[in-house]
Amino acid sequence: MPEFQVVKLSEAAQGLFSAEDVERLMRAEFDRAVRHKFSLVVMLVGVDRLGQLHDLYGWESKDEILKAVVSMLRGSLRDSDLLGLTQDDRILLVFPHTTPESAGLLARRMLAGARKLRFDRDGRTLRISLSIGVANNRAGLDLSFETLVAVAEDGLTVADGAGGDRFVETELYQLYEKKRRAKQRAREGAGLAPEEPARIVAFVPPPESQPGAAPRLTPDDPIGQALLELLAQQGFEGGNFVGVDPEAVATAIRRANEAKLVPAVPHHEPATPEELREKQRQIEILERRIAKLTQALGLTEEELRRVASLKGVDFGLPSIYKTVQGLSGAEPEFERKKVMMLTILEANLALKRELER
Amino acid sequence: MSADGKVGEAVKKDQGVLYMGIDLGTSRTSVAASNGVRTTLSSHVGYPKDVVARKLLGKEVLYGDEAVEHRLSLRFYRPLAAGVLKHSQRTTDDVAGNMQAAADLIREIIRLGKPKSDELVYGVIGVPAQAAIHHKEAILKAARESLDSVMLCSEPFAVAYGLDMLEDVLVIDIGAGTTDLCRMHGTMPEESDQLTNTFAGDYVDEALAELVRRKHPQAQFTTRMIKELKERHASVSEAMPPVVVDLPVDGKPTAFDITEEMRTACRSIVPPIVQGLSQLIATFDPEFQQRLKNRVLLAGGGSLIKGLDLAIEAEMKQRLGSGKVLRIDEPVYGGANGALKIAHDMPAEYWEKLK
Repeated sequence: MPEFQVVKLSEAAQGLFSAEDVERLMRAEFDRAVRHKFSLVVMLVGVDRLGQLHDLYGWESKDEILKAVVSMLRGSLRDSDLLGLTQDDRILLVFPHTTPESAGLLARRMLAGARKLRFDRDGRTLRISLSIGVANNRAGLDLSFETLVAVAEDGLTVADGAGGDRFVETELYQLYEKKRRAKQRAREGAGLAPEEPARIVAFVPPPESQPGAAPRLTPDDPIGQALLELLAQQGFEGGNFVGVDPEAVATAIRRANEAKLVPAVPHHEPATPEELREKQRQIEILERRIAKLTQALGLTEEELRRVASLKGVDFGLPSIYKTVQGLSGAEPEFERKKVMMLTILEANLALKRELER
Repeated sequence: MSADGKVGEAVKKDQGVLYMGIDLGTSRTSVAASNGVRTTLSSHVGYPKDVVARKLLGKEVLYGDEAVEHRLSLRFYRPLAAGVLKHSQRTTDDVAGNMQAAADLIREIIRLGKPKSDELVYGVIGVPAQAAIHHKEAILKAARESLDSVMLCSEPFAVAYGLDMLEDVLVIDIGAGTTDLCRMHGTMPEESDQLTNTFAGDYVDEALAELVRRKHPQAQFTTRMIKELKERHASVSEAMPPVVVDLPVDGKPTAFDITEEMRTACRSIVPPIVQGLSQLIATFDPEFQQRLKNRVLLAGGGSLIKGLDLAIEAEMKQRLGSGKVLRIDEPVYGGANGALKIAHDMPAEYWEKLK
């Protein structure tokens, strides 16, 4: 679960609730949803490759991107919806009175909105995409707010790991909830919870390739079966998944998505123009990152020289010689010069001896 | 070359080797280094006289023109001047102060050569041909603080070596304090091959000051003003342009024509130089005397006097029957360039022996 800590919010986050406000309001809204039995959706949104963009274009650019994304998301929100920025530059949203079906539509709208954003940097136009993890308080399940956020975070991890620009809902509610309760009970000295079957559903909707409803992954289809097997290898056996490490589950989910996504583009087949463009874009980003870092290094060196000159420090200039030279045999009058060098040495040795006396 | 004949064999050093050639002159000290640095500094050193001066100047030691500019606030030294460094037996001179100043000047010129801290630095220092042993000691001591290994050599020899003129050559190195004459005959010059006299730049300054004072007694000037005038107008040519200068008379700048005085003062060093040349030529192998007369190199800051080469030639013709004088291209850096070449040609093991 993301940590809601008191952090100094950047400009992008100005106008949002504070970290404490977000957590308090979200928990209050969640409690109200439980009490009045209405549906509620939690989403965790991350900007893809935000770290690279930060390295490449600086924190101002990152701030500007986050600000634009927040602004775009706000356009999709109602007054009753809550939005907060977490410490790791992710955006947590709580949508009261929102059904799981509406959550899918909402997430698609957010993805489409992010694709339209443009940022001009160094004469180039930057485009961004989002990864979104989705969770909801499933009717009939007694879930905690922590579980919803954990599921949303898992979804974001899977979406990001699969290349981003998508939303994912991993229905691991019971797993997380039971794990949470087990831990709680363990603390109280209680026994393990009864076994329950796991239902894992991943929404992986790249809008360009799979318009419409997201494919539903169930234990009946091969990928779902593979995922269950993976979970079983990780300790999820006989439906008793209490105590299963969430990281192991996340790994299983990631592998399942990879199993679903990667075979679509076998390595030995020629890349599609879209993939080539994407690769090209990655190369350009890396090249620009190198250029930027080189420039930064140059500026740093210049600054060091400036400071050194202010302090009167002179690093000197390197000699053109890396080794001791000495007379070359090809030198004109080599023999004569040899004798002269020896004579100079002897005179200096004599001087040295005289000085040492 | 080493005792076992390994001349020119490079010793691998990862960090690089910087060679420095230094010409420690009475008037100017110059350095040429294998990192491309070539710079010159007037051989003046000053130390603030008191706390107030130190605070005002913000330095413990001042060098070169900066020292000259603030000389009234300083204990001012020209450490390599004739009569001080070379003849410091005189008890009236601040010998210890001059020695210290000479050492500081060497440290400064090495610093100006911009050696990198991670490189081996080997230096050859050209010193006046007849510098006293204790002055050489002071020079070596100061240089060793900044150089990994250091050698001294005679200035006129360094000039000739730098030009690859090692045989049957007479070198005239006219400095400020002394004029060094050196006879090169294919081997390292010995004591008998070198002559030093004080008919040099400072002598010309004094002669010019005396002549001007005699002709224009009302003119007010200092030796330093006269030196500046000489550096701007020095010539021995009969066809030299008129030298009209402003000198104060009771505080008012007044124009004086000192053309004749300038020519006379500059010419005053020619006879002693040719006399020294005659001495070196006359004691040389008769078969090679003619060749020696026709290979006279004129170097040092004093060689910048216009027409001096022709004047020496004319004097030689009168006294010796003939003579050919060649002025070197870079009088100020001739000694430093030659010292740098010696440093470059010195085998690695020789440097090791002197570390």
